[in-house]
Amino acid sequence: MTAAMTASAPDSDPVAVRLRDVRFRYHDVASWVLDGVDLTIRHGEYVCIVGPNGSGKSTLALIMAGLAAPDSGTVTLLGSRVFDDERGADPDAYRAARHGIGMVFQNPEDQIVTTVLADDVAFGPENLGMARPDIVRHVDAALDAVDMADHATDDPTSMSGGQQQRTAIAGMLAMNPRLLILDEPTAMLDEAARADIMRILDELHARGTTIVHITHSPDEARRGTRIVELNRGRIRADEAGDGGADRRRPFPAVLGEDAAGVEGTPAFPGVRDPSTPLRSAQDDGEQRPMHSAQDDGRQPPAHSVQDGGSQSPVIAIRGLSFAYSPGRPVLSGFDLDVRAGETVALIGRNGAGKSTLARLICALGRPQAGSVTVCGVDVAHASKRERKALRRRVGYVMQHPERQLFADTVREDVAYGPRNQELDEDEVNRRVDEALELLGIAHLADRSPFDLSGGQQRLAAIAGVIACRPDVLVMDEPTASLDVAAAARIRGLVRTLHDRGVTIVLITHARGELTLADRVVDLSHGSGMARTDAGASIADASRGSASPADASHADVPGARSRGDAKSVHRTDAMSRMDPRVKMTLTLLLMFSAFAIGSVWQLLAGAVLVTAAIAAARISPLRLLGTVHPFLALFAVTGAVNMFFVRTGTPVWTIGPVTITDDGLWTMAIYILRFAMVILLGAVFLERTTPTQMTDAFEALLSPLARVGVHTHELSLVMSLALRFIPTLTGEARAIADAQAARGGDIETGSLMQRARAMGAIVVPVFAGTLRHADNLSRALDARCYEGGAGRTHYRVMAVGARDVAAMLVTACYLAALVALAFVR
Amino acid sequence: MSVSSPTANHSTGVSDSGRWSTKRIAVYALFVALTIVLSFVEFPILPGVQWLKYDPSGIVALVAGFAYGPAAAAIVSVLGFVPHVFTDPWGAAMAILVSLALSLPAALVYKRNRTRKGAVIGIVVGAVVAIVAAIGGNLIVSPFYFNMPVSAVLPMIVPILLPFNIIKMAIHGVITFLVYKPVSNLLDKRA
Repeated sequence: MTAAMTASAPDSDPVAVRLRDVRFRYHDVASWVLDGVDLTIRHGEYVCIVGPNGSGKSTLALIMAGLAAPDSGTVTLLGSRVFDDERGADPDAYRAARHGIGMVFQNPEDQIVTTVLADDVAFGPENLGMARPDIVRHVDAALDAVDMADHATDDPTSMSGGQQQRTAIAGMLAMNPRLLILDEPTAMLDEAARADIMRILDELHARGTTIVHITHSPDEARRGTRIVELNRGRIRADEAGDGGADRRRPFPAVLGEDAAGVEGTPAFPGVRDPSTPLRSAQDDGEQRPMHSAQDDGRQPPAHSVQDGGSQSPVIAIRGLSFAYSPGRPVLSGFDLDVRAGETVALIGRNGAGKSTLARLICALGRPQAGSVTVCGVDVAHASKRERKALRRRVGYVMQHPERQLFADTVREDVAYGPRNQELDEDEVNRRVDEALELLGIAHLADRSPFDLSGGQQRLAAIAGVIACRPDVLVMDEPTASLDVAAAARIRGLVRTLHDRGVTIVLITHARGELTLADRVVDLSHGSGMARTDAGASIADASRGSASPADASHADVPGARSRGDAKSVHRTDAMSRMDPRVKMTLTLLLMFSAFAIGSVWQLLAGAVLVTAAIAAARISPLRLLGTVHPFLALFAVTGAVNMFFVRTGTPVWTIGPVTITDDGLWTMAIYILRFAMVILLGAVFLERTTPTQMTDAFEALLSPLARVGVHTHELSLVMSLALRFIPTLTGEARAIADAQAARGGDIETGSLMQRARAMGAIVVPVFAGTLRHADNLSRALDARCYEGGAGRTHYRVMAVGARDVAAMLVTACYLAALVALAFVR
Repeated sequence: MSVSSPTANHSTGVSDSGRWSTKRIAVYALFVALTIVLSFVEFPILPGVQWLKYDPSGIVALVAGFAYGPAAAAIVSVLGFVPHVFTDPWGAAMAILVSLALSLPAALVYKRNRTRKGAVIGIVVGAVVAIVAAIGGNLIVSPFYFNMPVSAVLPMIVPILLPFNIIKMAIHGVITFLVYKPVSNLLDKRA
C-alpha cells in the first residue's frame, strides 16, 4: 500500500480516532495510567490535549497513534478496529492504520535515523514502498512545508532542536498522514523555534490534516479547535478552543486551574505573579550588554552573608574565550563578577555559551584564554587537588540532571556526593535528609530513582547536588521541560538557598525565572559568537553543552562525518564513486598493503596512495592532521620493533643492544606500510557519508541474506549506531562531568572506590542508552518500518565509468605488487 | 527478558514472523553505538607497553549478552568494531575476536544459569577464553602487523601479553558485575 493511496482514499467515515472505555497500565504498577477514556476525534479537527505530568497524555497519544495497545477497551483508528476486548490487538489492522498516522515525539533527536536530512525524510516513504519518483516528490514537498528545503543535504543530528523537530515533522509529512499526533513537540525548544512549529501546525491544519497536539503550554493549547483535559487517566474536560481565532481570549477554565494551583510562582513564562516580590527591578525585556556585569552598581537585597564578601567576588571571570572548534568561539573576551550570596541569571539564545560557562565555573574544563577564578582558585592553573577541593564548594546541576541518577535508591544516590567527601555516616545521613526535605521528596527516599516520574527524578538529582552543601551553585536550565508543580519546587529551592547565602548562577530560558535573580546577564550580545541556529536546547543538553564539532573528539568517525555532511555537494571523484565499489576496493588495498616487503612495492604503494588523495582532492596536510596520532604511535612501536630483530648485519651496538640493518628495514617497512593503510582508510572515511557506508555495507553483506542472515536489519543497526555516536558521546561526557562535580573520581582512590565511581558513570550511560533505544523504536514504528522486505530506495547506487576506472587501476596495482615481489 | 519476544503488554504485534522488532533493532543499534563510543576511550594499562591499550567497550558486549543472549553479544562485538576496520584493520580483527571470545561464552553460561553465580562463572569462563584467544590472535597477527616473526612474539607472552590481558579482563569483569544488576533492573522496568 502506498501512502498516496491511503491519503487520497475517499473517506466515508468522518471519524479519525474512536476510543471506548480504554484502560492502560504498566505491568508492575497497580494504578491505571488511563482509566476508562472515551474520546472521538473527527477528521479536520485540531485537538489539544492538556493535563499535568503523569495524567496519561503520552500514553493516550501512543494509543491513538497505533504504537501501543491498551489493556482493555475498543480502539478504532482511521476506520479500522485495531483493538477490542474479544480479539485483542490486530497486528495487520494496526499496521495499516499506522500508514495513515504520523507521530512526532518530545525528544527531537531520537527521531532522526540518518545523517543526511533528505535521506532521513525519505525513510518513511521508503518503508511504505513508494516508487522512487513519488519519494522524491514527497520528500521535496515535506521539506518545503517545514521550510527546510535549503538544508536537504545537511546533517540533522548536528542541527538545532527546532530544526530537528521540523525534520521530524517533515519525516511524517512525507508519508502523507491523514492524522498527525504530536507529543509535546516544543517542550525542549526555545521561543523562536516554538513559534515556527506552531505556525507549521496551523498551516497543516488549514490544509486539512487532522492534528492532535499534546502540550503543557496554555498558549499552545489555545490554538486548537478543541481542548481536552486529562487528569489521572480520565478526561476531565472537553471544550471548544479558539482554533486560532482570537488568541487574546481569557484562558479556558480547564487550564486555569492547573496553573493557579501552584504557590506564588508565575505559572507561565512572561506572566509575572504579583505575589512574588521582585528582588531586583530589572525588566524582563531588558537585555543587558554582557560587559556591564561588573559595573552593575545595584546592590543585591539586604543579606547578612554577602556584605563582607562583596569586595572580592566569589566568581571572577576576565577576558574569557572558549571555542570547541577553531574559528567558532562560543565565548570571547567575556567578563563577569558574581559576589557572594548573589543570584545571577544567565540568559541568551542557545549556542551563546551559557552551558560552556557553567562547566568552566565548575572547573570541569579549562579556559583557552582569559581567567576564571572561583572561590579564589584560578581554574586554568589549578592543580588536580585544588580542582578537586574546589568542586566540593561548587555544586553543578547539569541540564537534565535526572540523567545522572544511578543508585538503587534515591537515598543512596543523594548520599553519593557526601560520601565522596569522606564524611562520617551520621553526617552523610544528616545531609541526605536535609536535601530530601528541602526538595520535598523525603517520602521517596527508599524508592528506586528509575521508578519516579520525570519531575521527581529531577528533584532527586538536584537533591544529590544540594547534599554536598555547595557555597556556589550553578544550575543549567533546572526547570526545562518540567511541569508547573515541579518547576515551582525548584524555584522555591533557589529562594531558600539564596536566603541561606549560597551564591547561585542560574542559566535559564524561562522569563518567569528572572524574578529569582538579583541580576541578569545576557550572553547573546557581542563577543562574536555567531551561530547559525538558535534553539539547540536538546543538542546542547545531549552533547554536554558542547558545540557539535568538538575538536577533541575528531577521531570518532561519527564526529568526523558529521562535519563532513555539512560541506554540501562535493564534486571530487572519490565522493562520487559507487559506495560499494569504493568500500570493496579500499578494503582490498588496505589489506594488500601488508604484503608489501620490498622497496619497489613500497614505491608502487606510495604512487597509489598519492593518486587516491589527489582524486579525493583532500589537502595532504589536512589528511596528515587527522591521522598524525596514529603515525606517531606507529613510529614508536616501529622503533621498539627494531630492537627485537637480531638477524642481519649489525649497524650499531650500544651496550647489550645491537641494531641490525634488518632491524632498521623492519622498522621502516612497518611504519611506511601502516601509514599507507591508515591514509587509505582516512581518505575513504573523509569521502564517504555514513549513509553511503551503510548502503555499501548492506550490499556487501547481501549474499548472506540467502542463508538467513538479517542483512538488511544488520545494516540498519549499523547505520543507526553511527548516527547515535555523537549523542552518546556527549551524554557520557555530561554524566562524567556531573559525577566528577559530586566528587566522583575514577583516577585516584582504592580500586573499589574507583570501580564504584566508574559504576556511577556507566549505569546512567546505560540508562540513557536504553532510553534512546525506547524512543528510537517508537520512532521506527511511527515511520512504519516493517523490515526490509517491502522497502524501496530513495537513492540509487549505480556503477559508472569512474568506478570501472578505479577497479582497473586497483587491478593493475595489485598485479604490479605481485610482479614486483619477484624483483630484487 | 528478551527482545525477540515483544513485550507481552501493549504490543501492537508483529504481523509477520521472522523479522526483527523495531525494539530489537533499536536496542542493538544503541548498544553498538555505545561500544563504538567506548572503544575510542582507550589508554595503556601496562607502563611502557604503548601498543596494547585498554578500552571499556567489552563491557557493553558482556552486558548485551547477559541481557539479550548470545546473538546480541555477537552482533555488538562485530558491529562495534567495524568502524575500526578503516583505521586499524588488524587491530579491529583482533578486537572482534577477543570481544566474541569474552562475551559469547559468558552469555551462553548465563543463559543456562541466570543467577549472580551464573554471571560470575560466565565472566570467568569468558575471560579465560578471551585471554587464550588474545594471545593466539597476537601470534597470528603479529607477522602482518609488526613484520615480526612468531619467534619474536613468543618471548613477549609471559611478561607482556598475559598480564595485560589478565588486567583487562579483570577490569571488564568487575565493572560488568557491579553494573549488571542495576542495568537489568532498568531492562525489566521497560518491559
